[in-house]
Amino acid sequence: MVARRRKRAAGTSETEILSPPGYSAIPIKFSEKQQSSHYLYIRQHRVREDTKSSWPQKRTLFVLNVPPYCTEECLSRLLSPCGPVQSVELQEKPDLAESPKEPKSRFFYPKPVPGFQVAYVVFQKPGGVSAALALKGPLLVSTESHPVKSGIHKWIRDYADSVPDPEALRVEVDTFMETYDKKIAEEEAKAKEEEGVPDEEGWVKVTRRGRRPVLPRTEAASLRVLEKERRKRARKELLNFYAWQHRETKMEHLAQLRKKFEEDKQRIELMRAQRKFRPY
Amino acid sequence: MGPAPAGAQHRGTAGEPEVMESALEGTGKEGKKESSKKHTMAGSPVEGLLQPVKLSRAELYKEPTNEELNRLRETESLFHSSLLRLQVEELLKEVKLSEKKKERIDAFLREVNQRIMRVPSTPETELSNQAWLPVGVRVPLHQVPYTVKGCFRFLPPAQVTVVGSYLLGTCIRPDINVDVALTMPREILQDKDGLNQRYFRKRALYLAHLAHHLAQDPLFGSVRFSYTNGCHLKPSLLLRPHGKDEHLVTVRLHPCPPPDFFRPCRLLPSKNNVRSAWYRGQSPSGDGGPEPPTPYYNTWVLQDTALESHVQLLSTVLGSASGLKDGVALLKVWLRQRELDKGLGGFSGFLVSMLVAFLVSTRKIHTTMSGYQVLRSILQFLATTDLTVNGISLCFSSDPSLPALADFHQVFPVVFLDSSGRLNLCADVTASTYRQVQHEAQLSMVLLDSRADDGFQLLLMTPKPMIRAFDHILHLRPLSRLQAACHRLKLWPELQDHGGDYVSAALGPLTTLLEQGLGSRLHLLAHSRPPVSEWDISQDPPRHRDSGVLTLGLLLRPEGLTSVLELGPEADQPEAADFRQFWGSRSELRRFQDGAIREAVVWEAASMAQKRLIPHQVVTHLLALHADIPDTCIHYTGGLLDTLIQGLKETSSTGEEALAAAVRCYDDLSRLLWGLEGLPLTVSAVQGAHPVLRYTEVFPPTPVRPAYSFYEHLQERASLLPRPDKPCPAYVEPMTVVCHLEGSGQWPQDAEAIRRVRAAFQLRLAELLTQQHGVQCQATATHTDVLKDGFVFRIRVAYQREPQILRETRSPEGMISLRDTPASLRLERDTRQLPLLTSALHGLQQQHPAFSGVARLAKRWVRAQLLGEKLTDESLDLVAAALFLHPEPFTPPSSPQVGFLRFLFLVSTFDWKNNPLIVNLNNELTVEELVEIRSVFLATRTQLPVMVIITPQDRKSSIWTQDGPSPQILQQLVILAAEALPVLEKQLMDPRGPGDIRTVFRPPLDMYDVLIRLSPRHIPRHRQAVDSPAASFCRGLLSEPGPSSLMPVLGYDPPQLYLAQLREAFGDLALFFYDQHGGEVIGVLWKPTSFQPQPLKASNTKGRMVVSRGGELVMVPNVEAILEDFAILGDGLVQAVEARSERWTV
Repeated sequence: MVARRRKRAAGTSETEILSPPGYSAIPIKFSEKQQSSHYLYIRQHRVREDTKSSWPQKRTLFVLNVPPYCTEECLSRLLSPCGPVQSVELQEKPDLAESPKEPKSRFFYPKPVPGFQVAYVVFQKPGGVSAALALKGPLLVSTESHPVKSGIHKWIRDYADSVPDPEALRVEVDTFMETYDKKIAEEEAKAKEEEGVPDEEGWVKVTRRGRRPVLPRTEAASLRVLEKERRKRARKELLNFYAWQHRETKMEHLAQLRKKFEEDKQRIELMRAQRKFRPY
Repeated sequence: MGPAPAGAQHRGTAGEPEVMESALEGTGKEGKKESSKKHTMAGSPVEGLLQPVKLSRAELYKEPTNEELNRLRETESLFHSSLLRLQVEELLKEVKLSEKKKERIDAFLREVNQRIMRVPSTPETELSNQAWLPVGVRVPLHQVPYTVKGCFRFLPPAQVTVVGSYLLGTCIRPDINVDVALTMPREILQDKDGLNQRYFRKRALYLAHLAHHLAQDPLFGSVRFSYTNGCHLKPSLLLRPHGKDEHLVTVRLHPCPPPDFFRPCRLLPSKNNVRSAWYRGQSPSGDGGPEPPTPYYNTWVLQDTALESHVQLLSTVLGSASGLKDGVALLKVWLRQRELDKGLGGFSGFLVSMLVAFLVSTRKIHTTMSGYQVLRSILQFLATTDLTVNGISLCFSSDPSLPALADFHQVFPVVFLDSSGRLNLCADVTASTYRQVQHEAQLSMVLLDSRADDGFQLLLMTPKPMIRAFDHILHLRPLSRLQAACHRLKLWPELQDHGGDYVSAALGPLTTLLEQGLGSRLHLLAHSRPPVSEWDISQDPPRHRDSGVLTLGLLLRPEGLTSVLELGPEADQPEAADFRQFWGSRSELRRFQDGAIREAVVWEAASMAQKRLIPHQVVTHLLALHADIPDTCIHYTGGLLDTLIQGLKETSSTGEEALAAAVRCYDDLSRLLWGLEGLPLTVSAVQGAHPVLRYTEVFPPTPVRPAYSFYEHLQERASLLPRPDKPCPAYVEPMTVVCHLEGSGQWPQDAEAIRRVRAAFQLRLAELLTQQHGVQCQATATHTDVLKDGFVFRIRVAYQREPQILRETRSPEGMISLRDTPASLRLERDTRQLPLLTSALHGLQQQHPAFSGVARLAKRWVRAQLLGEKLTDESLDLVAAALFLHPEPFTPPSSPQVGFLRFLFLVSTFDWKNNPLIVNLNNELTVEELVEIRSVFLATRTQLPVMVIITPQDRKSSIWTQDGPSPQILQQLVILAAEALPVLEKQLMDPRGPGDIRTVFRPPLDMYDVLIRLSPRHIPRHRQAVDSPAASFCRGLLSEPGPSSLMPVLGYDPPQLYLAQLREAFGDLALFFYDQHGGEVIGVLWKPTSFQPQPLKASNTKGRMVVSRGGELVMVPNVEAILEDFAILGDGLVQAVEARSERWTV
């Protein structure tokens, strides 16, 4: 450690910044005051031919190791010198699949506490990506013109944001329930229509809502039926009736005792190993 | 006589923390990896872990041999179970003397015999002329008064015989003692030697001369004096071999008179053998009055004459019956674990041997019985027979000259006569010692009858030191004070009888006094027995006060503790005078509501904590009044730990009252909810789900009265906000209440829709509560906060079927099956199990008023050790509950102090790896179910968390410990508890006062790699710290009730917010430790595994950087930047980040 530190102290500025193959590294700091920096590892977003990706391949920059205090706006501001930024998406881990388009309700899905994240930055033009790859840094997250809140100030702002607005919540719930009710009503209407109407092969679908409801198709229900049958069979069986049954019960008892004995021996062995038999 | 092994008492007080080896190995940094919890256990069979037994079919069902059948049958009839049988066999193997050692001891004994016979004789001198004694040896006896008639000369003993347990084969390790009786030749003794301690003087001189000569012999490693069973008139000589055998054996020499030397009729309990004229230098008061009898003196003489007859009796009874010998050995272990066998008046191993002989003679025990059965029979006998009222006798002759049992009862508290019918074997045993024995026997019988799985462990292997067994402890010091007490209590005849031993003389009357005074508050009073001291032959024998301190243990009766009143007789009754005399100035005449005018004593105690300490007031008052012992000599240890759970400004209460106030407010709220009109569905249940509502919140909430000027206002939402320029406002934690709504077909069957409907209910609830009851409410999507009387409650609406709906999954065939999902489990835990647990523990508190104190002390300690976040609130509450529901071998604690000690003991000795901690709330689990639970546990051990706590509501999964602690954290806890217990016990048992009681609550900080110091300005709970600061910042609270229309700042705790960010950002790299009760420092431990260079991977980059190692590019944590991040994320809160870089390398 000491050796490494000395080496780094000696040549932070002149030694080139290492990066994983295919990526380039940009140092990023919170503000001027900090001595050492984290490194953003960036590359152009690429996927294999067959996989689908929602991000436009040419225009998207994939960023690794975004520090927790760096927000979407902040990243957008930092990268805008390379070209106009269309969108920035921060995620916990790399995710190729399409992210949900509509934003999640902020009442029901509160924002998680950020850690180190990955980002997909979509530029308006492909040139932005190459410009970003050539960026030298170090980038500063919080500057005098654009201060970023952290610590006490951030927590107080978060607290103020979390104080709920009941009216907005009510409106959201009402709209959701309206669409939900509509959807359910439609489904029901459709089911009613299909009720008792045979399909092209002549099969009629039997549902719970029909005139003669049937057992629901759940696991619990089928288990219940099985259990009932088992009990019925057990009632009819005779116990200890034949001599062989008697013999077997006895043997079973003996086997139980033997098993218990083995278990006990094992426990004793363990206790002895732990010296649990020394009363002093 | 008295073959019980006495001697050095070195035995660990705490169980060693070695229970958790191997799987949980790796202290400190070595294996601090949280995620490894299940993986370490899931690997190949871990050593020290019980595995389910697998026997092949052929082995299980082979034809049994005759031997096997016999053994099985024997086990069934003679023992409880095969496990118990094996355990007993193992224990006996451990404590019994091996043949090899026996041979060595025998050889040593032969040598001793020869040396003794070779000691030269001396010419005859007057007893009072001791100039002939060589320099370098002192008479091992206090010769007060010094002058006594008679002559002495030394002659080699007429006979040297081995007596006691060694001969019988019932002596147990450690401390092997061999008792040897030396029969003094008749020529030494004179006619009236029984009188005025002459015999004892000669006996002491005899030993002194012997000691002088034996000490010069190189055969012996040490030659020392001691008292036989602690009796101050009867010294004995201890011989230990030289060299490596030093600790092998102690040979104790007891001189005894030749047979038939004393006339038995002179030594009856009613006879006097110590003349007042001689002892006090004056004739008895009133001249010509009868001399007081000296029963104890007589007994001690008689004991010497009966040594051989006793050993003969025992050897005929125990002789060939190995079961009986095993039984005696087990009983000795049992007594020793309870510290009952040592000292003057201890219930020694010799007494239980005689008791076995008695039960054999009454045919209650048969010689073919097993050791376990003997143990059981003796315990049963002790539990049911009160020897203080109905004495027993081994003598079956109907000789009319023998004294009656009643004569013995008059002078001795406990009566058990030997076969001569004249000697009371239990003469030295005090009534309280016997009651303690009886109490222990009763507890043990209950335990044996309950067929508990670990009965053996609890019965014979768990030590019960006084500090852990009794609720309150009280030391009397200095002991010389008791001399004055003896005079005050007019105990001169007793002093004369005891040869000036004022400690034993005063003990009986003092305990009786306290027992009477404590009355209904007391369950059992026990006293320590002065330890049997050893001293060098060149020193004077220790004086009575040198035994240091007299310790009394009080076992309290919780139901008696609630009353502050001592009700006396009506004023005109004759008993009133006695009552006044007993209580002195504290007794006053009072008129009661029913019109009666009675004498009464009223103690000042407002809170539960003070009521628990009433015994202290009683003891102090009575001892000062009746025995002249001032309160400076009484060191009472009962509420010393209370300060740690006292509120900020409270000094008289430990918070039970504040908790009760919060619970009352909750009751009011639930009534409001029940009566709410206008909800679309009615409320079907209101259940508390917060530690406050089960009385286990360490610092109970107080009503909030915010000072508005201290805050930012958010008028449109009626809320207060913290201001950045002010110190952090007071921490207000909302108390969670779960509100179940009735089921209805109207509920949607879709998880997302249910959440929206619940949110609608939350909004409606807030609206209605504000409209109908005028309380301030604030609704969010998941809960409604209600401000009522200064307390804030968080109501969560729940729908019973919701977990069910979350569990439903549809298989491709359209079959709906139920599978647990994380979301369903979480919901189930929060809305079903947590309320159940809360109400069960609430009930426990009603049964055991000390529960709250114990649980809170335990939590306070764990959190002070910075481990609070790894162990959930609920799991610690359950561990505390286990102390009350399964107190064996103790009784449920009645004071927080003893409960906390037992918590430490339980945590440090419980074998978490191989046992689930079963907390049988409401006694719902039957014995069969317990067996079932244990076998399921064994079979699924590898899938379960390291710490498994089972309750009737949660029989398989141990939900409260699912997310931690990790094996390393648990091991750290075990180690800390094992270290804290002896330290704390020593402090509490120290009669000079405990010193700094907070020592064990301060965490060790030197193990952490980085320390983050926080600024107290932004720690809202700063005043709750273990070392509470004298002053802290203003937290924006008013002392007077003000207007309360705005919602205070809820749950705003900057250190917690900071920790959440740290864990999210650096959770893979480090562990963070913090005491949520006002900790000023966060301890950071790097995870060693994550400091290993990692290969390049997109998922590996978090907080790391690429470096070149030997030409290869790898990723390592960017430590310097991370250290700076610590400061950035906690801007304003963090004072300093101290990296101790010498402790780690990258």
